[in-house]
Amino acid sequence: MIFANGKLLPDSERRTVLDGLEEQLNAVRLAPSLAAETVISAVDALGRRLEAGEFAPLLSRFLPAGVGLEELLPLLRRESLEAKLAAELGAAPFESRNFSKTTARVLPLGVLFHIAPGNMPGLPVYTALEGLLTGNINLVKLPHSDKGLSLAAFQLLTEQEPRLAPYLYAFDLPSGQREELKALAALADGLVAWGGDGAIEAARSLAGPGCKLIEWGHRLSFAYISGYEDKQAELAALAGHIVETGQRLCSSCQVIFLDTEDREEGLAFCRELLPYLEGAAAKRIGPGAGAAAALSGRSALLERIVDGRAKGETLFQGKGCCAVFRPDRELELSPMEGNVLVKLLPQKELLPALRRQKGRLQTAGLICASEKREELAGLLARAGVTRVTRAGTMSASFPGEAHDGEYPLRRYLRVVDVESGN
Amino acid sequence: MLSRQRLFWRLHPYDLPGSDRVFLQACRDNCAYHIRRCPGYAAICEHLGFSPEQLQSTEDLAHIPVIPTLFFKRRALFSMPQWRMAMKVTSSGTSGKYSRIGFDWGVILAEAPMVVNLGFRHHLVSPKPAHCVILGYKPHKSNHTGVTRTMFGLTHFSPPLSRTYALQMVEGVYVPDLDQVAEKLKRLERSPFPTRVIGFPSYLWFGLQRMEELGLRLKLPRGSRIILAGGWKQHSAQEVDKGTLYALVERTLGIAEDHINELFGAVEHPVFYNTCKRHHFHVPIYGRIIIRDPDTLEPLPMGRVGLVNLISPLMTATPTLSVMTDDLGYLTPGEKCGCGIPSPYLTILGRVGMSDIQTCAAGAAELLGKGEAF
Repeated sequence: MIFANGKLLPDSERRTVLDGLEEQLNAVRLAPSLAAETVISAVDALGRRLEAGEFAPLLSRFLPAGVGLEELLPLLRRESLEAKLAAELGAAPFESRNFSKTTARVLPLGVLFHIAPGNMPGLPVYTALEGLLTGNINLVKLPHSDKGLSLAAFQLLTEQEPRLAPYLYAFDLPSGQREELKALAALADGLVAWGGDGAIEAARSLAGPGCKLIEWGHRLSFAYISGYEDKQAELAALAGHIVETGQRLCSSCQVIFLDTEDREEGLAFCRELLPYLEGAAAKRIGPGAGAAAALSGRSALLERIVDGRAKGETLFQGKGCCAVFRPDRELELSPMEGNVLVKLLPQKELLPALRRQKGRLQTAGLICASEKREELAGLLARAGVTRVTRAGTMSASFPGEAHDGEYPLRRYLRVVDVESGN
Repeated sequence: MLSRQRLFWRLHPYDLPGSDRVFLQACRDNCAYHIRRCPGYAAICEHLGFSPEQLQSTEDLAHIPVIPTLFFKRRALFSMPQWRMAMKVTSSGTSGKYSRIGFDWGVILAEAPMVVNLGFRHHLVSPKPAHCVILGYKPHKSNHTGVTRTMFGLTHFSPPLSRTYALQMVEGVYVPDLDQVAEKLKRLERSPFPTRVIGFPSYLWFGLQRMEELGLRLKLPRGSRIILAGGWKQHSAQEVDKGTLYALVERTLGIAEDHINELFGAVEHPVFYNTCKRHHFHVPIYGRIIIRDPDTLEPLPMGRVGLVNLISPLMTATPTLSVMTDDLGYLTPGEKCGCGIPSPYLTILGRVGMSDIQTCAAGAAELLGKGEAF
């Protein structure tokens, strides 16, 4: 399906839509800019209807079982959106600034082409929303896994506020259709690419020199343990985070690093952690809920064996989860689904080890004695992480938080200096 | 690999006890072959402390290193150079990832008697020519999925007069056209030859629902059959129980329940499972099934629900001797069925909700061998 100008169209219309798109976009550019307030009030109103359960049957059709929008809904409120604008762009984001002979005007970048991610339902809508808030026209390539949620959301949004319609286009394009993707990229002033290295590289090859690249690549997150404030509570919170997120998010803990060089201490930690992981895994619901963990853990073990990496590691198999004690000090992807890697990383080796993953670091869940927190947080920040949190809140978000170390809205705007006539 | 052929050329396809000795010998030979030829498989056996001599009784089959199909989606393992293979086949990749499995010529030699034997046993073979309506993919040079080949192969149980496909390649993408299929079926109602509808159960369900909407009720010629293969795939959310589907078939196509066959198999385990007249998948002698605890992967006793572990010494190009699907199911003793087939039967309950959501963490795209958003 295609979404264009407030209407859902069949894929057979794609050519027609693409052929007329440039002319249409130019007409929108000539019109007065889209005000952030128009977007905020529409999103706020729609968010309230969502919260009231008005679209529950619709959502249940599109969302995978057991996945809700609880995380997303608070972000759709007026207060959140205003807080986001203020945090990222300051108190008067779109106001011109006067210099002696020149006025600096803030304008949208123009047309954003979003290559949207498939790892979290709602993200394709969210990335388009960031584009709308800054007044941009948004072309969205929907992920393969999007079964219609985003299209439905765009339709509801433009029904709520018809003035948004000319600013939203979505295409259910298979990745193989390079020519059409290129045609869309050619219309864009900015290409917003989400995804793994493969997706980012493909996006780079689509964007011509005149198109600004805005990359939200995949990131790795980890926990660092150097003592405790309240051991039981902190381990339980960390285990809960690991199992609940399934380690699928950029902010999910993949590796637990221990501030020690003592192998025995590491093994003892795994034995201690396992019951907490099992406790969290037991709360999963549905038949075979642990199966994903067992299959993923088993498959990853076999991969490490085949790659010759399994020697020297110790596997602590739990019910529907496991901890793997590994002898190396690298931050890497875990087998996921509640299967966590545990490694030793003494404080003095922390910076060089993390630097090897520069550009991929995101959240560090820091567990330590309160008097060491400031020092360790500083060290982690210098090593390149973009967020330091406590144990259970690695994936929590707040309005106005930075995205992988940056404020996205700033990248979706440009400044035009206009010299005055006299 | 003569022990494999000895197993697949046996006469009685459901006599498990009678075939146990040959089955174990074939598994020992198969395991030893892969250890010799595939360094990755040898490493797995060594790490897990398994050697083929440990296979002395059927209980020992549970000790063969069991490899999740998920593994084959991430790593391709081969035990022979590609030029020696008859073909390479991929799984359907419902969630965007697929396994690459090699087939050696010996598989084809072994599968032929199995398919013929079971084809006769389950009344699939008929000398009377038939029109085939395939509710699946039209073969295309870019399509290497096992299920496409299987469905094409299934059109040969009777001499095929024509083939109509529901999914056709249009500009590089498969597009379903159920209305065209409905019209074809309407024309076939008046043919002197029977019709064979072969396809995914989900497409049959959608297609027949569409026919009901259009008010189409047919009575296909006598001897017409429905052959279902490939499971519900990405439409599992809409899965309906067999009774409802069969009733709809009878209403809209005029084909009675006893002319509906269902098949089960996997690219990693291409054993030909057929439903009996009571619609149960009895285990044929070419494979064994172990149900495992979803949390710990330990074997479970008969009747308990768990992950389905399929074992067969069929394949020598890829070490798929013991593979674990992401299906949940359970086994029931054969005598409880009442159809006369003595071997236990498998009931599939559905797929573990895996990999529906792809990961976001770094490197995953490479790990999965494919870019993510692309």
